[in-house]
Amino acid sequence: MSDDPLLDVRDLKTQFHTDDGTVRAVDGISFDVDRGETVCIVGESGSGKSVTSESITRIIPIPPGEIADGEVIFDGQDLTEMSTDQLRKIRGNRIAHVFQNPQGALNPVYTVGKQIIEAIRIHKDVSKQEAREQTIDLLDRVGIPEAGKRIDDYPYEFSGGMKQRVVIAMALSCQPDLLIADEPTTALDVTIQAQILRLLGDLQDEFGMSIIFVTHDLGVVAEIADRVVVMYAGKVMERGDVYRIFENPAHPYTKALLRCRPGQGSQREAIRGSLPSMIDPPDGCRFAPRCPHAVEDCRDGDQPPMMEAEHPGHEVSCIFYQDGFDSTQLDSGPEGLSASEARTDGGESR
Amino acid sequence: MSADAPLLEVRNLKKHYPIQRGIFGGEVGRIRAVDGVSFSVERGETLGLVGESGCGKSTAATTMLRLEEPTDGDVLFDGVDITEYDDRELKRFRRRAQMIFQDPTSSFDPRMSIGESVAEPLRIHGMSDGNRRRAIVKDLLERVGMSGDDIDRYPHEFSGGQKQRIALARALSVNPDLIVADEPASALDVSIQADILQLISDLQEEFGLGVVFISHDLGVIRDIADNVAVMYLGEIVETGPTEQVFDSPQHPYTRALIDSIPSPNPRERGMAVELTGDVPSPANPPSGCRFHTRCPEVIQPEGYDFEQSAWRSVMNFRTKVTTRQIDLDGIREFVIAETDVTDPEDVTHDQMVDAIRSDFDIPDTLSDPEAESVLSDALERVVRDEFDEASASLAEAFETVCATDSPDMVRTEAGHSASCHLHDQSVEVEPGERIAQSDD
Amino acid sequence: MATGTDPDLTFEDVDWDAEQEHPLIDRSPVFLAQVVINAVIFGALIWDYFILNNESPTIEGLHYPAIGGDSLIGLGFWELRRPVLQFTTNGIEMTTTFSVWDVTSVEWLLMVVLAFGFFNVVVPLYQNQRMTAYYWRQFKKNKAAVASLVFLIVTFVIGFVGPVFLPPPELSLTEQYLPPMGVTAQPPGYAEPISGTLAHPLGTDHQGQDMLKLVIFGMRVSMQVGLLSMSIAVGIGTLVGTTAAHAGGIVDEVLMRYVDIQSTFPVFLLLLLLIYLYGGSLILIIALYGFFGWEGIARQVRSEALQKNEEAYIQASEAAGASQWWIVRRHIIPNTSSTIITAATLAIPAFILGEATLSFLGFADPEIYSWGQVIAGGRGDLRGAPWISTVPGFFLFFMVLAFNYLGDALRDSIDPRQEQE
Repeated sequence: MSDDPLLDVRDLKTQFHTDDGTVRAVDGISFDVDRGETVCIVGESGSGKSVTSESITRIIPIPPGEIADGEVIFDGQDLTEMSTDQLRKIRGNRIAHVFQNPQGALNPVYTVGKQIIEAIRIHKDVSKQEAREQTIDLLDRVGIPEAGKRIDDYPYEFSGGMKQRVVIAMALSCQPDLLIADEPTTALDVTIQAQILRLLGDLQDEFGMSIIFVTHDLGVVAEIADRVVVMYAGKVMERGDVYRIFENPAHPYTKALLRCRPGQGSQREAIRGSLPSMIDPPDGCRFAPRCPHAVEDCRDGDQPPMMEAEHPGHEVSCIFYQDGFDSTQLDSGPEGLSASEARTDGGESR
Repeated sequence: MSADAPLLEVRNLKKHYPIQRGIFGGEVGRIRAVDGVSFSVERGETLGLVGESGCGKSTAATTMLRLEEPTDGDVLFDGVDITEYDDRELKRFRRRAQMIFQDPTSSFDPRMSIGESVAEPLRIHGMSDGNRRRAIVKDLLERVGMSGDDIDRYPHEFSGGQKQRIALARALSVNPDLIVADEPASALDVSIQADILQLISDLQEEFGLGVVFISHDLGVIRDIADNVAVMYLGEIVETGPTEQVFDSPQHPYTRALIDSIPSPNPRERGMAVELTGDVPSPANPPSGCRFHTRCPEVIQPEGYDFEQSAWRSVMNFRTKVTTRQIDLDGIREFVIAETDVTDPEDVTHDQMVDAIRSDFDIPDTLSDPEAESVLSDALERVVRDEFDEASASLAEAFETVCATDSPDMVRTEAGHSASCHLHDQSVEVEPGERIAQSDD
Repeated sequence: MATGTDPDLTFEDVDWDAEQEHPLIDRSPVFLAQVVINAVIFGALIWDYFILNNESPTIEGLHYPAIGGDSLIGLGFWELRRPVLQFTTNGIEMTTTFSVWDVTSVEWLLMVVLAFGFFNVVVPLYQNQRMTAYYWRQFKKNKAAVASLVFLIVTFVIGFVGPVFLPPPELSLTEQYLPPMGVTAQPPGYAEPISGTLAHPLGTDHQGQDMLKLVIFGMRVSMQVGLLSMSIAVGIGTLVGTTAAHAGGIVDEVLMRYVDIQSTFPVFLLLLLLIYLYGGSLILIIALYGFFGWEGIARQVRSEALQKNEEAYIQASEAAGASQWWIVRRHIIPNTSSTIITAATLAIPAFILGEATLSFLGFADPEIYSWGQVIAGGRGDLRGAPWISTVPGFFLFFMVLAFNYLGDALRDSIDPRQEQE
């Protein structure tokens, strides 16, 4: 094992070419994932978080999709340079995916056992019987009671939560180095979500794999993440240690996200406006049109570069952290100093 | 119509769906989607109906508006039973009670401009003058924060949050007294949810509306509801003022539900009490208290004393034995997969018993020797495929009130109502048997 | 109580108890115009059938002596008819009267269908111009479909207007087997090769009838069959499909089982039997295709309507108090319209081909100018005079092809869901 991160995403750009123009879904983002750690990519719908996760093993539809730029270094190899055949040997083997909808990941006409056994035998040279034994073991480890019996059941015979466990078992079948989980608990009830989150944590301890966990729910992030990448409109707004993100959020967007969580009563605050066009994104910071603190400089040029915010490893893309600006201004409420400068047209733009 | 009657009072509402088989459509069972729920909503009040998917909360909504015919029970609107209404009266009721749906996109006809959609209830209820409709719709759009000029645009030209505002305008158009909102914010991004919730409560205040707010999200319910009713498998298990229910939940299910919400504090991770298993099928709900198959606080029978978690595991085992859901061949195969044994014939009974114990998380020995002897006897019988005997001895030894009697809705010490045997006067509960709930 | 023009009217001002007394009548001008037009057509129909003698033409006083008449030989196709007023002096008719427009039952039907199409397709498209513009932008992307549309409009116009100004093709023993313009051939009965002339741009058939006229008169027949059978079939199919889907239960069961039975019914044999009994009149063929050709449409519409039935806007409408009929008419039919329109455009060529087949086999009314008949008439002379079969065959082929292209393009463009992406 080297000291290099397991996965290093550098300046990744993923675009979709549509009739209306090029949608810049992921527009130059960078982050890394160390061995054995959990990185959460958090953002609203349309932030590009799912496209990011799908770009790593290039499972986006190409065309209309295209990885326009950037590098995805996985264990020293650049995945963007690989052929589809080479990638196929990595997908499901060293990097496994778990998606939001477990229904879609399982073929309804085969038993779950057959599907997992096949997944094992694609990448490993083992006998059917050995693969079957491994499968029972896996199903048991992901918490499916009576694994020996349920292995011969069809997907429809499992509940939503159990199906997601099966999908996780399938993802783990080749003991991947990296598990990419895209909103794996969003379709589940809270009580089941708690079970799955705990399961993922336990499995990570057991297998020592890294996890990229994509979600919109900050509660889930707090529950599972080691480090957090906050995305908005195809750009990284902030990234850092989970404790820093929750206790000292630096970017106005992160702060706003924390304020709009339900369950805070009258403290809860919506973020005005809506996501900008991804075909023709605004100049400057992508969040500026909705930011209560935005000043003229925020709407100039490009997204500000990632700056260190107080602590090493905690980086933020906001001009208030650049020289000549005072980041403590961000702590004042939206009615504070910036209110006069912030755009007052409000409302959700179309 | 009596002035002091609540706006809406639901009494023992039931909605069962028959399961039909065969060419003659004979009924072989019924799905008890809603099985006897009662609650009331006053003018100007928001009732939050909360529960996991499949608990029957949406069916309760459509049934109490008679969008589906109730199987049993009464729905009193202004003191008058709407289940007795004929078509004409029902249509008048439909004007006074409006509904808002979860998916703002599919709740608008894509071929109608939003002006037409918002005006549709007006038209249905007899306003034939297009100019008047237009004036009302323009005013309504402005009141929900849209522009009057949006009237000729089509639904696809708006974002989800905007569409939900327009849906509110549509619901308001006929000046209703009651609004039933079925997960109105769940499809929206968290960043704009608060706006919609705020708009709902503002409009409610302005027009004195009664609101039934259905959601799976306890956080949202906590923000918007005055009173809350927690549903599990077609029944209401706890109901009371929102703050009280959230601050001192009296039903173990409510406690588990509140605990399951991930806390936004990374330093508090892993604190939740985990609820095992899935929601049972409403076609065949458990006897007694419907939650007893998952309840972490299921009551131990008298005369035993061992850890609550082990007791929970023993109960899980007992349920599976009774329903013969333990597959010996599967366990044998599991033993083969886990150990060096290769021939199914060579798997010993002890290995099987151990496998079952670990499958159900039952400790190797129970701390109570009497219970241990009953359990090990039952395990031995199960391995010998004597399910009936095992089931009988387990039932005799481990009988719990939770599995036999259905609890009544009683007023708890906290001041609001819950239906759980832990609050029965007749059931004696030793303090140690309950998992201590810290009221943090 | 605020009046209709009060711009400050708000929803709290409405006295709903008074409002709900109003009967639900559609009083839009479009609806009224539709009622009036239909009343006029039906009034005229009754007048024609009961007041007028069956033998007399519906509209008298116009007649069309041929320009030049028999005196000008060699005008061929270009011999036009010019409407002039008939007049009588001192009880003596100055010109011979012949039937001008004795409106046939097929034409009555066509008028109803065209009026319906105008009010339910053209008017809504005009009223929702932004949506129409969007559909057009989508449709334009498919160049083949645009060409097809142009071809069909031209065919439609010529097919309907042409026979008004052209006298029907006439037999001419002196002009048999003339080749099309610019073609030199030696048809049967000719000692030497001859060249086609401008008088008969597409040549003549074995009876000396002008091919272009035959094609134009045949266009009219094809269009009538296609449009009318399609209207009947789509009308019934839509009604049955949407009703079955929305009502569900026993209604659905009964309707769809009937559809199953009808789809196994040997329609062609029934057709032959009826033609044998009553003769192959055009209206009979149209009715048979229409009334026995809707099962597939009903099935397609039902499955589409079943999906739409699950949409929340149906539930929203129901919760607002809408009746079943309201929901079917306002929501389900408009939202299945892409299926309905596609089914319609694909049904037309099927019925046109069906009629041509019957005519080809000789079951149709010999009085009408059907392409199938012309093709059949030329099949003995494929070697000597191939244009007799190929010219109408060519038009038939392109008409069917154009409808197919059109149907595909419409299905892709009339779908508001795609706009969301």
